[in-house]
Amino acid sequence: MEGFTLNFQPQLRVLSEEQINEIHNTALSILWDTGVQVKAPPALELLRKAGASVDEDTMICRIPASVVEQALRQAPSSFTIHARNPKFNVEVSTEALHIEPMIGRLNCFDYDSGKTHRTTLKDVGELVKLADALPCYHLLHSGSIMPQIEGVPIRATHVYGYLESIRNSCKPIKATSRERLMAEDCLRMVAVIAGGEAALRKKPYTFTTDNPVAPLLHDREQMEGALEYARYGLPIDVTSEPQAGATSPVTLAGLLAQQTADVISGITIIQLANPGNPVWYGTCGSIMDMRVGRIAIGAVEMGLINVASAQIAHFYGIPCRGTASATDSKLLDFQAGYEKTLVLTMAALGGVNKIFYPGTMEGALTVSKEGLILDAEILESIYRVLRGVQVDELTLAKDVIAEVGPGGHFLKQRHTMQFLQAEHFLPLLASRQTRERWEQAGSRTMVDQAGARVEKLLAEHQVEALPANTEAELERIVREVEQREAEVK
Amino acid sequence: MASETDKDSIFAAMRESIENYDSDAAVAAAKQAVESGTDLLEAVEKGFAEPIRKLGEAFDRMEVFLPQLMLGSDAMKVGMTVLEEAITAGGGSIKSKGAVVIGTVEGDIHDIGKTVVAALLQANGYSVHDLGVEVPASRFIEAAEGQKTDIIAMSALLSTTMLYQRDVVELLGNKGLRDKYFVLVGGAPVTQAWSDEITADGYSRGAYEAVQLLDAKKEAWSE
Repeated sequence: MEGFTLNFQPQLRVLSEEQINEIHNTALSILWDTGVQVKAPPALELLRKAGASVDEDTMICRIPASVVEQALRQAPSSFTIHARNPKFNVEVSTEALHIEPMIGRLNCFDYDSGKTHRTTLKDVGELVKLADALPCYHLLHSGSIMPQIEGVPIRATHVYGYLESIRNSCKPIKATSRERLMAEDCLRMVAVIAGGEAALRKKPYTFTTDNPVAPLLHDREQMEGALEYARYGLPIDVTSEPQAGATSPVTLAGLLAQQTADVISGITIIQLANPGNPVWYGTCGSIMDMRVGRIAIGAVEMGLINVASAQIAHFYGIPCRGTASATDSKLLDFQAGYEKTLVLTMAALGGVNKIFYPGTMEGALTVSKEGLILDAEILESIYRVLRGVQVDELTLAKDVIAEVGPGGHFLKQRHTMQFLQAEHFLPLLASRQTRERWEQAGSRTMVDQAGARVEKLLAEHQVEALPANTEAELERIVREVEQREAEVK
Repeated sequence: MASETDKDSIFAAMRESIENYDSDAAVAAAKQAVESGTDLLEAVEKGFAEPIRKLGEAFDRMEVFLPQLMLGSDAMKVGMTVLEEAITAGGGSIKSKGAVVIGTVEGDIHDIGKTVVAALLQANGYSVHDLGVEVPASRFIEAAEGQKTDIIAMSALLSTTMLYQRDVVELLGNKGLRDKYFVLVGGAPVTQAWSDEITADGYSRGAYEAVQLLDAKKEAWSE
């Protein structure tokens, strides 16, 4: 599926070339002078063999700049993620933009009641189905990533979540790398979709996120899970989640330097395990609101961090995963709309290549079906922005202006009809009616409209079913994992 | 014995050390208080407790921020160590509102929320024993049993690790110690419903709510 390529200059920039170099050099010296703690023995071994100085007791690895730079050179600037329907294949690159909506969060917002409930398997299926139906979403987060789904045996959440997700979409479905065994379970299922393990190695049918712990820590379970993905050459977004002032320096420059150290050390480990493995340089960096002690995920600083991260990623020739379209609002209200749109617009104009988090609210503790619809409308309008202003003989329309002449109008011009759809974005949900017409139609808000569209899409959207034997094999793996985990307990 | 003027200037120096978030100054002022022979319990109250309470209240009103709160609490902590030693040596003791053992549960490395709660509790007159992160159930109980403790407070940021909060409650039950402690739970995925489900005694969404909740339930543990 096509992403969107920026076709106008200048893009949004917040760092100069010199500043990018300073951040990069600071990150390299952090990795050598302070080092990173790597709690996964196989990763320690890879680093040691590559020439890092490894302290066995503290698990602190000091990585020479040459090792990091060599690894960064091996990471590709573009790669394909396959979908079970090839028309939804995603061509990731440093020049394209793709969107990953959030599917799995602990809570799901119920628009009718205005309250949240614990996300169920049915919610997961419906959220995925909506994301499947909306063309602006390309790479789907899934129930596989969730730590828990209401009503599902907790240690089998990853496999239940994957099955429910792949059933409800033909787009690429993300799987978890939170623990090695969970990663293995998921990848067995993805291999069924791909047509076997060998086929999966050739065609990545999934992708994952590896989260280093800011500051400077690669936890054992997470890193071992990520290395499972690297074994198959599957795309990994290595994403640090520093909160300025709490888990990184309070300054944005300090945050970027430390985040870069977090991320490029993770990428180095992955490249050492599998040279050329597709990766994104990822950010979920923001500030901690020091009045309340919580991450501010709708903060405008996230816009700056996204843009700077894209610049740093592209300096390495690697696609950037950013985080935008999140909000701290508990409602789908003005706060949500403004926080989401501002950071999203900055991230998109800044050249972030994968934007993650549409669909979330309440500091990303909660996901919402209406939110997926509303965020899609913001995204569609941003795609219009990215198409820019096309200037050529036809669009300049000198002849049309001559024909209309002074004091005339353009409503009856073929030129108007011809270019209308390409030039104007017409929102589906936002009201541009007169007050009278709007009141006659029930004075419905944008969120009301989104609620109606959720119902319509869930009722009408058809997802291509999995082949019966594939479904049966996936079911079998789910049962097997469930039984294995039940016995552990 | 210190004169009234000496006493006032020593208490002022103690207060200022907290107001300036200055640990070195807090220790120096506390030492001065000990050397001057002034009433140390009064020094605790007027020199440290008053300004730290004000700091907690200002934080609650969003007039000062987390770094001030943390650094202010740290200054009080080191200053109090000096005073406590002298008070204990003299056969006295400091009355706290309650003794808290606090930590982030097993498998969870998230430090910040718990540390904020610890700082605010301390600022509000509780004596706090912070066990850090990835604290196994048994360690919570050993620590609580090891010294006089009223409250066991547990943080969990992940919905997977939040389950370990239940383990602590169950382990307390198995050991016949459940009634001895007020069990407080918190963390991003934790809710009142979860607290009820695992039969904890209290849940709070934010740090200041934790203080208010414990203040309101003081009769649950104080004699």
